[in-house]
Amino acid sequence: MSNTDGRIRLIILGGYLGSGKTTWLRHQLHEGQFQGALVIVNEAAETAIDDALLGGSDRLAVLAGGCVCCAAKQDLIDLLRRVSDDRSRAVSTDSPLDLIVLETSGLADPGAIVEAIRSDPVLVYHIVVSEVIVAVDGLHGMSQLRSEPLSRHQIEVADKLIVTKTDAVEQNELTLLLATLTAMSPGAVMSGAVKGVSHPLPEFSDAIAETLQDFAGQELKAPISPTRLYLDNSIDWTAFTVWLSALLYARGNDIVRVKGVIRTPAGRLLLQTVRKIVQSPEILPELGDTREDNIVVMIGRGFTHAQLTKSLQHFVGSQGV
Amino acid sequence: MCSACGFPAAPGHWTEAGAANAHDRLRGRFRRAQVLQRVLPSYNLRVHETNDIPGIQLSTLTGSGSIVSHLDDLWVLVEKVNGRPVDPLDTRFIGEE
Repeated sequence: MSNTDGRIRLIILGGYLGSGKTTWLRHQLHEGQFQGALVIVNEAAETAIDDALLGGSDRLAVLAGGCVCCAAKQDLIDLLRRVSDDRSRAVSTDSPLDLIVLETSGLADPGAIVEAIRSDPVLVYHIVVSEVIVAVDGLHGMSQLRSEPLSRHQIEVADKLIVTKTDAVEQNELTLLLATLTAMSPGAVMSGAVKGVSHPLPEFSDAIAETLQDFAGQELKAPISPTRLYLDNSIDWTAFTVWLSALLYARGNDIVRVKGVIRTPAGRLLLQTVRKIVQSPEILPELGDTREDNIVVMIGRGFTHAQLTKSLQHFVGSQGV
Repeated sequence: MCSACGFPAAPGHWTEAGAANAHDRLRGRFRRAQVLQRVLPSYNLRVHETNDIPGIQLSTLTGSGSIVSHLDDLWVLVEKVNGRPVDPLDTRFIGEE
């Protein structure tokens, strides 16, 4: 706090798609961390899902429809300038904003965000990036490091690494991941978390870090991008899950993440997947605003919106999706 | 999240989470069979739903049968029988070259 010169501290929470950023943040907010902070949630898709889960925050802003490190960078800069401006104008009796937590989309490079803030002539006087926290998927982290350059960039800029899902992974795989992370980002403080709750990490001094292959010269894979599917009334949960379970089984490595809130007789279900793994759907409370219901965001590569729609129609046996 | 900061999870296999009561569950089973019957014959399998056996009943063209407990196991079985998985992005479902 002392060296921020009256500037607002900004904590960037990054990490790959489905690494557990929102789950971790949700639990921290529940425990009373980051009190009084403005929480900014960025989602690459135009439909925000995560904000429904972060009701525990005092102030929440959503930047949907583009990743803030590239396509929506200007939106972030504009929002931060507005926040800085409001703070400067605020009367001294208001509780001043001194902390912002920015949860990036899983496709963001936190380094690019830090760079954008530091190079902005206004923000540099108002905001100081105090910490970059990166969530690493304990279960899929190693395969992401092997295949996705982005996951390496995220880890390299981290001050703090949170290895999630440590209960779901074999001990020797976990120690390999930990050793590799330490080799990539030796300065970062590492901790473990299971469903947001801090969890001790195993001893890994004997583990040998994997030497990751250089991507240079390799054929780059198609970029990962979000697609939105609207599920109209002709599509019921049963037909949709038959389709989705088949799709994940066949294409789970290319469909990196699926998120959405779907209306069913059992209530509003929050559906979330990471590669082939589907989380038990959470039953969300009924709210007045249902505009974002029955929209599913699918993030991955190797498919188009038209193909998904056609395929789903075939399974459901209807014309309109 | 912990049980206090999250919302309750729907019990059972995730594909069956949409049912609120026994009625919905029964409807869901028949609906599931209907959808599968549209997909599986081109993978040399048929589905039966008689509602007297828990799980999904399947038979091959030669008449041998299997029961799997949920859809995840079903897709594994289809791959075993055919040597490749049901891919919803296959041209047979999206009608492209």
